Amino acid sequence: MNPVFASVIEVFQMVFFVAWSVFLMEVYMWLHFRKYKETWFIPVALASAPVLVCVLILSAVGNAVSGSLIGWAAGLAFLLEIPAAFLFQNKVKGKWALPFMLIVPGFVGLGLLIAYPLVFEFYLSVHDLKLATLKTWSETGYLPFTGLMYFKQVFTMSPLSEITFWQLLWRTLWWTFINVSLHVAGGLGLALLLNRNMKLKGIYRTLLVVPWAMPQVVAVLAMRGEFLESGFVNIMLHRLGEWSPFLAHLGVAPVQWLSHHAFMTCTIINVWLGIPFMMVTILGGLQSIPQSYYDAASIDGASSWQKFKNITVPLLRPVIAPAVTLGTVWTFNNINVIYLVTGQAGGTEDADILVSALYKAAFTFNRYSYSAAFAIIIFIILFGVSMLWLKLSKGTESVYE
Amino acid sequence: MSNTPLKYNPKWIKFRNRAADILIHAALIAVALVFVYPVIRIFSVSIRPGDMLTSDSLAIIPQNATFLSYKKLLADTNFLRWLWNSLIITVSTSVIGVSLASTAAYAFSRFKFPGNKMGLSLLLGTQMIPAGMLLLPLYLMIMKMGLVNTYLGMIIAYSVSSLPFSIWILKGYYDTVPRSLEEAALVDGTTEFGAFYRIVLPLSTPALAIAFLFNFTSAWNEYLVARVVLADSTKYTWTLGLFELQGQFLTQWGMFAAGSILVTVPVLLVFLYSSKWLISGLTLGSVKG
Amino acid sequence: MASVTFKNIKKTYKGDVHVLHEISLEVKDHEFLVLVGPSGCGKSTLLRMLAGLEEITAGEIYIGDTLVNPLPPREREIAMVFQDYALYPHMTVRENMSFGLKLRNMPKETIDARVQEAAEILQITSLLDRRPKALSGGQRQRVAIGRAIVRKPKVFLFDEPLSNLDAKLREEMRVEIAKLYERLNATIVYVTHDQIEAMTLASRIAVMHGGYIQHLGTPIDVYSKPANKFVAGFIGSPTMNFIEGKLINTGDSLSFVNDTMNIVLPFDIPFGNRKDDDLEVVMGVRHEDIYTEKKEGPKISEAISGKVEVAELLGYTKNLYIMCGSTRILTTVPAAYEKHPGDSIFLWLNLEKVHLFDKKTGKRIS
Repeated sequence: MNPVFASVIEVFQMVFFVAWSVFLMEVYMWLHFRKYKETWFIPVALASAPVLVCVLILSAVGNAVSGSLIGWAAGLAFLLEIPAAFLFQNKVKGKWALPFMLIVPGFVGLGLLIAYPLVFEFYLSVHDLKLATLKTWSETGYLPFTGLMYFKQVFTMSPLSEITFWQLLWRTLWWTFINVSLHVAGGLGLALLLNRNMKLKGIYRTLLVVPWAMPQVVAVLAMRGEFLESGFVNIMLHRLGEWSPFLAHLGVAPVQWLSHHAFMTCTIINVWLGIPFMMVTILGGLQSIPQSYYDAASIDGASSWQKFKNITVPLLRPVIAPAVTLGTVWTFNNINVIYLVTGQAGGTEDADILVSALYKAAFTFNRYSYSAAFAIIIFIILFGVSMLWLKLSKGTESVYE
Repeated sequence: MSNTPLKYNPKWIKFRNRAADILIHAALIAVALVFVYPVIRIFSVSIRPGDMLTSDSLAIIPQNATFLSYKKLLADTNFLRWLWNSLIITVSTSVIGVSLASTAAYAFSRFKFPGNKMGLSLLLGTQMIPAGMLLLPLYLMIMKMGLVNTYLGMIIAYSVSSLPFSIWILKGYYDTVPRSLEEAALVDGTTEFGAFYRIVLPLSTPALAIAFLFNFTSAWNEYLVARVVLADSTKYTWTLGLFELQGQFLTQWGMFAAGSILVTVPVLLVFLYSSKWLISGLTLGSVKG
Repeated sequence: MASVTFKNIKKTYKGDVHVLHEISLEVKDHEFLVLVGPSGCGKSTLLRMLAGLEEITAGEIYIGDTLVNPLPPREREIAMVFQDYALYPHMTVRENMSFGLKLRNMPKETIDARVQEAAEILQITSLLDRRPKALSGGQRQRVAIGRAIVRKPKVFLFDEPLSNLDAKLREEMRVEIAKLYERLNATIVYVTHDQIEAMTLASRIAVMHGGYIQHLGTPIDVYSKPANKFVAGFIGSPTMNFIEGKLINTGDSLSFVNDTMNIVLPFDIPFGNRKDDDLEVVMGVRHEDIYTEKKEGPKISEAISGKVEVAELLGYTKNLYIMCGSTRILTTVPAAYEKHPGDSIFLWLNLEKVHLFDKKTGKRIS
């Protein structure tokens, strides 16, 4: 069959499945929110819950599921429905019918695709899933229990081949700090330059946004190409060395970027990628500062630097703060750049940060349970840092009120 | 007149302003060039003739420029197939994401049901989960369900991240639509859902378009999840395909560059065209009256 | 058309915030009832409960003989004009007006006929194909009213419809609404904070404050015999003058006394409560009942002396603010009146039109 046609069919099947699941959920909701007053409500609800669950499972997984599993699911649905039916009839009474019917499809989906995997991840982290046990598990569902062993291993064993957790942590923090600082500095500088009535402003803005607008994969792989041995950077260095023996004497020469200076390479690429976002955000913030403040300052006799320090910086804070927060989280979690640059077979570990090591450990080395424990630890760190940051930034009050 | 300090001398001020202007333009041009140069380079690599693919030259338009790489790309690889796969997956994800989000966001915007605030914070929280964290269990789940290397698996995985953001954007927009419009509709004779469907939804087309666009571009450019879920070269999205073209040892520079240009140009155009919207759209106010 | 009955309506929000306390009110068929009061008094809440847009905490609402508590807005046969007009921006004027009728599956000819009729009444026929964006405030207002008219509801509800218009437009639209009422002879429940609208448009006024109806009556009633100090001060422009003092019963006469005046109130002027001596009261008197020239008569008080504080020329008349002791009194005089700030002046009160309110409760005594 024509592959294009086949793919379209596959997509339609999927759309049908999603619509069908939503329909089943809405039937359940409608029954419980709208028909709770009827005398036949409770028996029908008790009967319908197992039925709906079975229908859903069967249509989702088809023949691949055993009869006993369906039996279990139906029984469980029945048991859960007993208190639920009473709750709906006596407590809920159809209140909030519409909002819940509206959000249930989305949230059930989210629950299945976020909540369940999270729970599953915890399960994985205390069991032993790796390449060796993978086959047994997918056939029988059995996994040996390992408790906190993998959590300990995260701190003691390397996720990849040599690098330790602490090195990764330190490097991640350093990576985040340097990138975000350069992003903000660069973005601020460019925004300040652009924040005036100049003729070609639109064109500059468009050109300067290109690194952000491009698909990240293309941008990073292209830049990576330029840092290869035969790439643009080395060509330029070579020519510079030829042109000025003095510089060559200082050590300006082609370099093995990807193998010896991976971290710096990734940083340069990421800074190039990240400045436009900061620039646009800060520019927006600059443009929202009323000119009247500057005029008043001029009358008061302030110099440009004083104006910057006392007007621009404080009034930019409400704009920069969320952007920096967002940027920090993104940078901390930035797998793309590092993986794309160093992820292929033979790539180095020297540039890895926590999340990219996690990805490699899981999918290149197939150390599933280890990665699960690793991921949980990373999340805890990130969560802790965010809470700290939130506390700190709440301490600085808003400037306007 | 000759006693006025230099600072206030009009001629000096004019000169100083001019000089500042020139410097600023120079700086901006320099930076803009640096930013845009990689794209120009890719383009010039893509039109290099076959024997020059790994040359030292930095010329923008190489000698004997040709579109051979493009032809090879389209003929010898599955590039078109990859584009098609990306298109299917991206459109499906965006449609599902936006439809489910449009109703859910309305519920969050208009009703103070128990769990409203918590739900929103939860949504925000999902954005903080490190990318790798969900990927692993998601992959294992998909594997167990036999959905590896299928569109369904990909779309399921992508919808996870598109829903919270879409709900956030749409809720923000719904908040700016005055409730009196829905009240007028209720008095006129609609049901509550009818008020949403007939009045609020048609008015929200800008926000829906923006949500769709955001979802589209993030799914379109995505790499990591695709890497994990798709194994068969014919099912690759273009991101995987391009990655394949730039292997460690054998980089097919010409085709890689050609593919890059073919993908980047539309994306850039869409982005630049819609960015006006994005900013104004996110601040589209109520339509009072 | 139908009557509207509110029975013991209570409205509380979470946390024990009482917005309405046991309101009972009947709007007669074909009556124009205005709910008037300052912001937060509960008038809009009452209207919205009638419309079905707010939950009724306790009590019953009837439209005609039908209990409407359980009914959603679309089944109550009402039409409403909102403060911000609430015109659907993505529809033309014609579509806005036909929307409700289309929802009820009326035949196209009926819809077109009704829309045409309403447009003619409101003089908006030339605007039928425009979008709300392209209309001025006054035009939008008319379209909003037109949308209500075509529905031919049992009751019309107006929620501060003129608040968003400038003063001049407001005057024009007031006249339009009055004409509309004449023409349609509909049951109208109208909410406003502007007492001028209340006085000019209503068949009856319900003055509300703090979740209670302070006074229900015809405009004349509310103006000339306000039930309490609040109503007296709220209705009428310029505001009524209030003078604090004591009511002293000297056996054969009643006197109103404060540190600058001593007014004998003749027995034949009806005063209800004569038993209490030395009752603390507030006397209310409107500017038109204060004279700057001596008039004779048993119903006129003795002269009160005061000093002119400020004189405001309004064109045809002049507002004089006069300090009598610690009380400021306002009276109007012809523009040519020759007294200036700083001059001393004598005032005479028309005791027939004077109101006495208990200082503590605010309730009317006389």
